[in-house]
Amino acid sequence: MAEWPTQPKVLGTRVPRVDGPAKVSGQARYSSDIQLPGLLIGMILRSRWPAARILRINLDKARKMPGIKAAVAVQEGPRIVRFYGEELAAVAGVSREACEDALRVIEVEAEPLPFVVREEDAKKPDAPRVWEQAPNMPPPRVQETGNVDAAWAECAAIVEGFYTTSVQLHHPMEPHGGTAHWTEEGLTAWISTQGIASVRDGLAGALRLEQSKVRVITEYMGGGFGSKFGPGVEGILAARLSREAGAPVRLMLSRFEESLAVGNRPSSFQRIKLGAKADGTLHVFDYENYGTAGIGAGQATEGGGGGADLPMPYIYQVPNRRIKQTAVAVNAGSARPFRAPGHPVASFGMESAMDELAVKLGMDPLELRIKNDPFEIRRREYKIGAERFGWKEKYRKPGTSPGPVKVGVGVASATWGGGGSRNTRGEVQINPDGTVEVRLGVQDIGTGTRTVAAVVAAEVLGLKPEQIHVKIGDTLYPLGPGSGGSVTAPSVAPTVFDVCTRALEELQKQTGVSDARGDNWKTACKKLGVNPLTVQGRWREGLSSSGVGGVQFAEVAVDTETGLVTVKKILVVQDCGLVVDPLTAESQVNGGVIMGIGMALYEERVMDWQTGLVLNPNYETYKLPSIADVPEIDIILLNMPERGVIGLGEPVHIPTAAAIANAVANAIGVRVPSLPITPRKVLTALGQVPVRRSSAT
Amino acid sequence: MRPFEYVTATSIETARQLLGANGHYLAGGNDLLGRLKDDITEAVRLVNIKGIGALRHIEPGPDRWQIGALVTIAEIEDHAELRKIFPGLQQAAAEVGSQQIRNVATLGGNLAQHSRCWYYRHRDIQCLKKRGRICYALEGDNRYHALFTGNVCISPVVSNLAIALTALDATAVIWRDGQERRLTMAELYELAWDNPTAHHSLRPGDLLLRVEIPTKRPRSAYLQVSEKHSFDWALVSCAAAARLENGRIYDARVALGCISPVPHQVAAANQFLEGKPLERDVAEKAADLLLTGAEPHEHNAYKIPMARALIRRTLLQLGT
Repeated sequence: MAEWPTQPKVLGTRVPRVDGPAKVSGQARYSSDIQLPGLLIGMILRSRWPAARILRINLDKARKMPGIKAAVAVQEGPRIVRFYGEELAAVAGVSREACEDALRVIEVEAEPLPFVVREEDAKKPDAPRVWEQAPNMPPPRVQETGNVDAAWAECAAIVEGFYTTSVQLHHPMEPHGGTAHWTEEGLTAWISTQGIASVRDGLAGALRLEQSKVRVITEYMGGGFGSKFGPGVEGILAARLSREAGAPVRLMLSRFEESLAVGNRPSSFQRIKLGAKADGTLHVFDYENYGTAGIGAGQATEGGGGGADLPMPYIYQVPNRRIKQTAVAVNAGSARPFRAPGHPVASFGMESAMDELAVKLGMDPLELRIKNDPFEIRRREYKIGAERFGWKEKYRKPGTSPGPVKVGVGVASATWGGGGSRNTRGEVQINPDGTVEVRLGVQDIGTGTRTVAAVVAAEVLGLKPEQIHVKIGDTLYPLGPGSGGSVTAPSVAPTVFDVCTRALEELQKQTGVSDARGDNWKTACKKLGVNPLTVQGRWREGLSSSGVGGVQFAEVAVDTETGLVTVKKILVVQDCGLVVDPLTAESQVNGGVIMGIGMALYEERVMDWQTGLVLNPNYETYKLPSIADVPEIDIILLNMPERGVIGLGEPVHIPTAAAIANAVANAIGVRVPSLPITPRKVLTALGQVPVRRSSAT
Repeated sequence: MRPFEYVTATSIETARQLLGANGHYLAGGNDLLGRLKDDITEAVRLVNIKGIGALRHIEPGPDRWQIGALVTIAEIEDHAELRKIFPGLQQAAAEVGSQQIRNVATLGGNLAQHSRCWYYRHRDIQCLKKRGRICYALEGDNRYHALFTGNVCISPVVSNLAIALTALDATAVIWRDGQERRLTMAELYELAWDNPTAHHSLRPGDLLLRVEIPTKRPRSAYLQVSEKHSFDWALVSCAAAARLENGRIYDARVALGCISPVPHQVAAANQFLEGKPLERDVAEKAADLLLTGAEPHEHNAYKIPMARALIRRTLLQLGT
């Protein structure tokens, strides 16, 4: 088994992102930056009905509009659409305006069908069915261990709660889509994706092309968070339009469209009953949950892992437990995996119940967790974090903070795998002039993949990271995994170690230089003569592992007269094995925490039951944290080189919302059991909102 | 966006002539261009008025200040002297949108902006405000909607500056039918109280020229609560202005935003405050008077306690 050097020179140092200058100066080319001769713009016609039987789509008028070069229907013949925004047809033309005009004249003959968009309405037996053949909410799957009903009598404290979370939208800064160029040689597609390989295969399958005829390029992309693994309807339409028009087509979704059809995180409605012994040992857990994955509920969701089921009782072991879960279908876009699918939602429910239990037991919530946490690393993280955070000094009984603006603290934690893919491959080319090219068929979703590869290559070859040219995001390179599950760094780092180690050996063998590293590098490379040295390699055992913890502490201030929550501080204690580059690792933590703040306080897709539409399809009313909402984020990374590289993009997002929710409850003395925690919900929880007759809905 | 003509005017008179029957004045464009892109407003012609120099000035005066309609929100926010004379106006300006928006948004555009109701703003919803049949907010998601209205539509006025200027008892000077007309802030919005399709009282062709603000209330303040800490609309906003003598309040005016289609004022509250000490109990009684008759809907009753807290805090801030 391979091992990382025990005295590294580059590994673990703060190496700035190698492609940072290209990104901030606008040199980096994203999918929408691709300029090709004759480039057309593509746009999609979407269903205006939340449910309808589509009888006929006539594209004739659209095709005749000025500047229009192609028009295609998503599907021939009658079909049923099941949500507002479902794709019907697409056009390609010389400008956005030409396309908009053409979309307006497409004739769609449709019979509107009854629809339902809210979970509480959809689960009623007489609700309109989203899928004709099955009720919207199937009976729950039940898992039972031990004897739940008998165990309650053995408990010293029992708490019950009902916790809900909202459907969230991924809303990456860069929308879905890309640029497709179909020629006689095949299809080249610059797609904003987390998986160039899965997009290539998806496009080949959908378009009945040989995989060898499809090339996918993603040099840079602006975030996906789980929603960008496949080509998507938009990617397939771009390719079809390009084929029909005989010209390249750029089809990027608008912010409005991002709210409709490219994924979301399911909601949750979690009923929890939790019991413990007098010493705090968890004894019994009774759980019911349902959520909606849109039309994806009860169906396979794209990319997998996007369902509404939650991993419960999350990080804890409870001997007696009954878990009932199901999902309810509504007429809305399907869920897709969303950064650590299920985990942040599970964490919110479970950690809320844990804090309630601590109050009932009269225990410090931190002590209750340490007592019940089976994971040794996390138990250490609680202690390290408590010390740095000043937990003992800051924690006080719920609601005892004086004055109208109350402060409170909370804690929550994470578990994640983050192991690498053993199928990852790569190659390195050493040129006679000493330059080094590392080529990997992976993509960078913003985590710093190029930098990780450069750091590892520099370490092995005794060079500086800036001497390594890392080329990624092209299916012509040896393919690696999609960037999901926090696998990219633990896939890439061992692979680059392998190819560079092999290349160094080969270089030394060919040139007779006994140690070609560092100062000898140029001399050795020159001896290669005219031909560069190209070496392939693959993921190596022993350089990565999986299984991380992660603990976060939150401090908040809550204005009890206006309901406004201000996050004052988040402390993150996170392990990820060997820290390849503390700078890119901390950047991951910052992003995960900020996204967690959004989940805790701001984000919610709002559906209108009357029209079936998404009411907040923009950044104005789908609220995301901005700089003023981001507190001090204090980061402690536990460096464990002996464990090898482990991914951390997802675990660092998991506990933030739960920790904030617990801090809010600690501040005001009552729990807001529903995310996002808006001023409205805070004032309601405090009993300040006058009760009004219920409306006629 | 659909095609339109684009012309530039250099004077008030030519602007009005160029506007024609179905044109729109274009200043900062934050509101208008968004509506055009979302296809909720039709425009045959846009008349760029940014070059009309006469509308760009801030003119101090002993009794009243004049602020031209094309003065940007950022200019109001950053004006050092204005900040001393009308702190409430400066605070309201500082809460508008983001820095980028404030750099281009104008006083006139802020006052004349349309409803932000998410039913009104949705391209595929034909609501009452867009001359459809019903107000969807009534039985729908009305968390951001009004507690008071004189008609069926419950979308509230969201202009920050309207609230501050109402408290300061400003006068809006508009160009109508070839001459200047003077409107109180109440008059500038009163049509929206009765008429669900109105956002204010301006008629097609009316051009906001400036506001005039009396200096007789040296104390003023503006506060709002939003869901986020910046770059967000107010859930409720409150402005107050008065003169203080020996800790007592005179000529007080209080206005609330985001709870009514017009800046919400209650004469009885202003009268009650006359000569009263600036104290917590007094502020709370004023809040009671201001919120009497509030009619919450399914999702917006939280605005009542929020408004109550804001009224008290804004009034007490007059003394600081």
